[in-house]
Amino acid sequence: MRINDRVFGMLMLILAVAYGWEATQFPIPFGGNESVGPETFPIMLSIILGISSIYLIVKPDPDEKWAPIPMLLQLLSVAVALLIFAWAIEPVGFIPSAALVVSFISWRMGAAVKHSVITGIVSSIVIFFLFNYVLELALPLGILEL
Amino acid sequence: METMTLLMHGFAVALTPESVMFAIIGAILGTLIGALPGLGPANGVAILIPLAFSLGLSATSSLILLTSVYAGAMYGGRISSILLNIPGDEPAMMTCLDGYPMALKGKAAEALAISAIASFIGSFIATVGLVILAPILAKFALKFGPSEYFALFVLAFATLGGVTGKNQFKTIMAAALGLMIATVGIDLSTGVQRYTFNMLELFEGVDFIIAIVGLFAISELFFFIERHAGDGLKQVAINKLKLTAADIIRVLPASVRGGILGFVAGVLPGAGASLGSFISYSLEKKISDKGEFGKGDSRGVAAPESGNNGAASGALVPMLTLGVPGSGTTAVLLAMLISLNISPGPMLFQQNADLVWGVIAAMFVGNLVLLLLNIPMIGIFVKLLSIPPKYLMPVVTLIASVGIYAVSHSAIDLYFMVAFGVLGYILRKVDIPLVPVILGMLLGPEMEKNLRHALVLSDGDWSVLFNSGLSITLWAISILGLVLPMIIGPIIRSKMSKSKEA
Repeated sequence: MRINDRVFGMLMLILAVAYGWEATQFPIPFGGNESVGPETFPIMLSIILGISSIYLIVKPDPDEKWAPIPMLLQLLSVAVALLIFAWAIEPVGFIPSAALVVSFISWRMGAAVKHSVITGIVSSIVIFFLFNYVLELALPLGILEL
Repeated sequence: METMTLLMHGFAVALTPESVMFAIIGAILGTLIGALPGLGPANGVAILIPLAFSLGLSATSSLILLTSVYAGAMYGGRISSILLNIPGDEPAMMTCLDGYPMALKGKAAEALAISAIASFIGSFIATVGLVILAPILAKFALKFGPSEYFALFVLAFATLGGVTGKNQFKTIMAAALGLMIATVGIDLSTGVQRYTFNMLELFEGVDFIIAIVGLFAISELFFFIERHAGDGLKQVAINKLKLTAADIIRVLPASVRGGILGFVAGVLPGAGASLGSFISYSLEKKISDKGEFGKGDSRGVAAPESGNNGAASGALVPMLTLGVPGSGTTAVLLAMLISLNISPGPMLFQQNADLVWGVIAAMFVGNLVLLLLNIPMIGIFVKLLSIPPKYLMPVVTLIASVGIYAVSHSAIDLYFMVAFGVLGYILRKVDIPLVPVILGMLLGPEMEKNLRHALVLSDGDWSVLFNSGLSITLWAISILGLVLPMIIGPIIRSKMSKSKEA
C-alpha cells in the first residue's frame, strides 16, 4: 500500500498553494514595493514544497503501518491529558495536575494502577520542591495555596 | 601561536570552579540521557535548553553545561548498544556489532571500559582537530558575502540527509516546512505581518525550542506507547572489571585511527557520525590481521566508538564557524546559541573569543570528567538503565513541560508543544525526517535575510546568487549532495545492514 505518501503529498500541495496565495496578498510595505519584498521568500518556498509534494504523489514510498484505531484513540487521550495539564497548571496548581498527568501516562504505558499513582505523586512533589527551592523557579501552587 | 594563547585563555574560563561544576553536572546528565533507550542526545539537549534558559545561566555556563551533556550523551549511547544490543542512536549501531557479543561472553564490563577509553581518545583527537581547523575556517568564512551565505544554507539542507539519506524529496519537503514555519511572524525588515492570523502569540513567530521539544520528546512518548515498549528490555548482566594494560594498548591504534576518521567525517557536510563509525569499523576490520570481528573483538568496539565521538566533536566545526550544523544534535546546540542571542559564524571567533575558547577548553575538561566518571560509576548508570520506561518516560515528559512552562509562564506554549508533538508523530509516520524541519526553523530568518540582502544589492538581479567562484562551488556541492545519495546511498545502506546481520 502506498496511500500514506499520496494523502500526505496531497495535503502538502494544498498547504503549498494556500501558503503561496497568502504571500501574494501581503499588504504593500510602507515605502512602496522593492524588487524583493516580504513575499519573495515565501513564494519560493511554496514552489519548492509544491514540487516535492507532486513528486510524493507520483512516486510514493511504501507505507509504514498506522496503529489500529484503539491505539490511536489511546494516543489521542495522552495528547488530551497533556493539554489538560497545560490548562490546569495555573488554576489547579502544579502538584495535583502533574501528579494526575504522570499517573495517567504511566498507566497508559502499561504500569499497574497503584505503581503509576505512586510515580505520579512522588515525581510531581519532588519536581515541585526541586524547582521551587533548589532551582528557584516558582511553579504555581494553585488550590494547595492556603 | 595565537591559537595557543587563546586556548590558554579558554582554560582560564573552563577551569573556574563554576565551569568545572557545570561540566560535571552536564557529563552526568548527558551520560544518563544517552544511556536511556529512546531518548538520544538531541532529545536530551532539547529538554535541558529551556531549563538552562529559565535558570538564567550565563552564556558561557549554559554552553559548557550543554556541550558536556552532548559529549556525555555520546558516551552514554554505547551503554545500551553493549548491554541491550539496541543502539541509543544511529551512530552507535556499529558498536553493537562487537560490543554485544563481548557482553554475551561475560565481558560486558571490559567492553564498557574499552569503549569509554576509545570515546575519550576519539573526542580528544577531534577536539585537537577543532582547535586547529576552526580558526582557519572562521577566517576563510569572513570572505562570505550574502549570496555565498545563501548558497551555504542551501548546501546545509542539501547535505543534511547525508550519504545514507533515503528519500531526498522528503528531506527537501521537511526543510521547506521548517522554513515556512520560520516565516510566521512580523517581517523584520518591513514590519509586514505574515501568517499571524492576527493572533498576538504569533507576532514574534514560533519559538523553535518549543518546537524541538514537541517534535522530538513528545513524539517519542507517543511512539513508546504505540510500541508497548513500556516494560523495557532485558539486559546482559555486568561482570567484575578485569582490564589489563595490554588490553588497552591493543585497542590504542584502532582508537586513534577511528578518532581521526570520525573527525573528518564529522566536519564534512553530509557525512556525519554514522558514516564516521561505519568507516572506522570497516577500516579496522580490513587492516587487522585475523581478528574476531563480529564475535566480540575489542578493537571492533573501540574503532566505531572513537569514530562516532570524533565525528560528534568534528560536527561542531561547521556549527561554530559557519553557523550551519551538520546533525540533529548540533542543530539543537545552534538553537541554544541563537536563543542566547549569540549568532554563530565567523564573527563569533572575533566577538566572543572568550566564550568560544572557553567552550573548547571545557570540552577537554568534560571529556576527562567523562572518562573518570564512566569507569568507576558505570554500575550506577546501568542500574538507571533498568528502570522501565513506563515510569521514566512520563517523568521525563513532565520535566520537559516544566522547562517550557518555566521560560514564559504561559500555558499557550505548552499547547504549542503538544501540537508539535502530534505533528512530529505524523511526520515520522510518513517518514519525513524531523531534523531538516528544525534546521529550517533555525536558519530560516538568516537565510531569507541574506537572500534579500543579495537581491537588494543587485537591484533584483537573480544571477547575483551565482556570481562568484565560491558561490558556484557551494551550489555545485549542494547539487552533488542531493544527487549522490540517490546513487550510492542504497549501496552503503545495504553494506551497513549486511555487516549488522553477519
